[in-house]
Amino acid sequence: MATPIKRAFRTPLAFAALVMISIVALLAIFGPIIWGAQASEVNISNMLAPPSWEHWAGTDALGRDLFTRVLVATRLTVLLTLEATAIGVSGGILFGCGPFLLGPRFGKAVTWFIGIAVAFPGLLLALFFAIIFGAGASSAALALGLASAPSFARLCQTLVAGILARDYVGAAQISGSGRFRILIRHILPNIGEPLIVNATIGAGSVLLSFAGLSFLGLGVQAPAYDWGRLLMECLRSIYVHPIASVTPGVAVVLAGLAFNLTGESLAHALGITSLGDLGLRAKIRSLRHDPSITLDTDEPTQDAIVCVRDLHVGFPAGLDIVEPVRGVSFDIFAGEAVGLVGESGCGKSLTALAVAQLLEEPAQVWAHSLIFHGTELLDCGNDNKETTKARNHLLGTSMAMIFQDPMTSLNPTRRVGEQLAELGRVHGGLNHRQARLRAIERLGAVRITNPERRARQYPYEFSGGMRQRAMIGVGVMLTPKLIIADEPTTALDVIVQEQILDLLGAIRREDGAALLLISHDVSVVREVCSRILVMYAGRIIEELPSADLDQARHPYTRLLVAAVPNMTTDITQPLPTIPGRPPEPGPIVGCSFSPRCPLADDRCRSTDPDLITNGNTRVACWHAGQPLVQIAEVVE
Amino acid sequence: MSELTFHDVSVHFGTSRHRLIAVDHVNLTVGSAGILGLVGESGSGKSTLARAAVGLAPITTGTITLGGKPVPMKGKNRPLAMIFQDPSASLDPRMSVGDSIWEAGRGAHGGEDKQSTITHLLSLVHLDPKHAKSYPGQLSGGQRQRVAIARALAGKPQVIIADEITSSLDVSSQGAILNLVRELVDELALTMLFISHNLAVVRYVSTRFAVMYSGRIVEEGETSAIIDTPSHEYTRQLLAAIPGGSS
Repeated sequence: MATPIKRAFRTPLAFAALVMISIVALLAIFGPIIWGAQASEVNISNMLAPPSWEHWAGTDALGRDLFTRVLVATRLTVLLTLEATAIGVSGGILFGCGPFLLGPRFGKAVTWFIGIAVAFPGLLLALFFAIIFGAGASSAALALGLASAPSFARLCQTLVAGILARDYVGAAQISGSGRFRILIRHILPNIGEPLIVNATIGAGSVLLSFAGLSFLGLGVQAPAYDWGRLLMECLRSIYVHPIASVTPGVAVVLAGLAFNLTGESLAHALGITSLGDLGLRAKIRSLRHDPSITLDTDEPTQDAIVCVRDLHVGFPAGLDIVEPVRGVSFDIFAGEAVGLVGESGCGKSLTALAVAQLLEEPAQVWAHSLIFHGTELLDCGNDNKETTKARNHLLGTSMAMIFQDPMTSLNPTRRVGEQLAELGRVHGGLNHRQARLRAIERLGAVRITNPERRARQYPYEFSGGMRQRAMIGVGVMLTPKLIIADEPTTALDVIVQEQILDLLGAIRREDGAALLLISHDVSVVREVCSRILVMYAGRIIEELPSADLDQARHPYTRLLVAAVPNMTTDITQPLPTIPGRPPEPGPIVGCSFSPRCPLADDRCRSTDPDLITNGNTRVACWHAGQPLVQIAEVVE
Repeated sequence: MSELTFHDVSVHFGTSRHRLIAVDHVNLTVGSAGILGLVGESGSGKSTLARAAVGLAPITTGTITLGGKPVPMKGKNRPLAMIFQDPSASLDPRMSVGDSIWEAGRGAHGGEDKQSTITHLLSLVHLDPKHAKSYPGQLSGGQRQRVAIARALAGKPQVIIADEITSSLDVSSQGAILNLVRELVDELALTMLFISHNLAVVRYVSTRFAVMYSGRIVEEGETSAIIDTPSHEYTRQLLAAIPGGSS
């Protein structure tokens, strides 16, 4: 995990946190060694002196230098803070893991106890313990530790419950691992990160509370001193020496901030992956408008509903850019169903998202042209509010996107009918009544039985297949010109899949919408689509009518077809497989499929074949159409 | 003998007022050294039945026996292992591949050398032994599922329960995993309950299968016989729905 943490500490705030926490640590280690003697040097002749060149923050009632005392007090303050935090975190882990270790019956009691303890205000709890244990540094640390334990326990318990639901815990149980072993081997390592982050942030508030206890006289006792105690001593003379009493206060605030910001930066580091780069954006802009880049593409087809020429999608990677989609060109005509197939990681979904204009920073999209329904979508140079608005209206009304998981696009807190009706009102210009009737009519159109009752239900009341229908209903609310469906049936079982595919076909026939169906499964696509685009490593490598799929010319396409068993597959033979996996986005020499291809030779490995058009098919392969007799040998 | 038998097994969830009957009086025998397929739609109870066999779901009534004796649900060295649907969820992201495999086989290996055991298991599933030091996040979906299979084999089980092990994989990895499953069952004389919603996949790996529908076994027999003459309505629908199917 070192890399994301390192990367995150490049932000100014995180860097400041790192500097602050380092200063606090250095002071805690070396402060008493350097200034220890000086700080306890009594000078009766110079009592309560105002700030001067010699005494930056003045002196106290015994004439001791206050600034050095604040510096020296860092060690005790930080040590006691860490001690209290350690007690809190250990107590939290103990109680938080208790329900799991003790089993369901006793575990419930522990959960109740944590629930009650969390409800008490922390500082009140600390004061209560401090009075029971008596005044003193270690009893105050114990008190604060115990007071912060319940919230750590609750956090820990929630994290443990999340890990317990994972299959790897199930697998460990099956292999006979005991609870304690599962806790040590599987649970603690996986909850460590959030716990450390929260403990760091918690340390900041413990530091503040500790200063409070010492200030009240319940914490550190003289002659020892921490910031809280210094604050108390100085406050007596606040009207005489305001600066003197502010100094320990500033120390408390800065150290508290140091802990908090470090924790926040750690949390941030574990959550984010990469950061944008300004220089890179300029680089991409220049790529977009560089006239010297010649495009090996014909002019846009006029009567196509979608016309894509040389589409690229890039992501920043360090100072460079990787291109998961590297120059894709295709047309979709009105009412046509086109399939886009390939393994995961080949750029299918990115292509679809780019066409739908749904990619956001840090993704970058550029193309020679990306025309939808006669409108250029990537006309970045001369953009104004009007054209942007018109473009968004066009996308909102004429293009529909259906995802694999319908719950990502349905709002779980709103009735299904309302969600459809809202679209009709916002984009379709319908009034409330019309929108409601249209929503019910559309739910009926996607074969949801009893649509009037269903429209009043929430998404959770729908089964998986029903939800996918409802989402298609959302998609066809406004009679779109193009429906993009990204793996719409992958999460469903075969019977429901069949129904959804039939439904997509029927909607297309009834409303005349074009369909772009994305799937990793060729057998799904060929049922619905008339034409198939095969994508590999960010490029289209073959295009063919789905009727000709069994006579595909690219070895990749043929292997994809052969890899899916059907009811006529010869069960005495091993299934043909494609060894290896698609390349990571990055520089590729030669044909991108050559490392996995049974037909690859030296030319394939050195020179990338062009996508050659031949009638209504396109293929990019030096050995297009050659028999794959070698496949069987490669498999063995 | 490692014949796995479910005798009148039921699994109920929830309270007596809101009772969900996930598995309803199932009688099923998974014959020794071979694969029995189990198909059904999502929610039909096939995964619950699998989890009941390995002690992850509570059995309300009935017994599960292995070679005539009740399947032990506690203690080390259990004779049953399970492979889960999604390898990215079933492998501990913080544990290296080698450690995951070694950890699962703790009960079974005696004084064997850790390194050679891991190497042997990884080579059984056709993975390069250098992956022992990799973490699951560094592997592809198909490779992760191979690791999960190696982990299941580590405890030297007599029976393996495979629950939808190819449905979260790309078609290209699916074929390789299916080949591997057939190869391992033959080589190691394993008994396997192979659960899937895809009949074409089940047909490829098993000569016998059972169909589960709303918690019950509604059909069981030779694969070819059921495909030719399905007797239950649900089986007929299932056959009709296979993409690129012959029907």
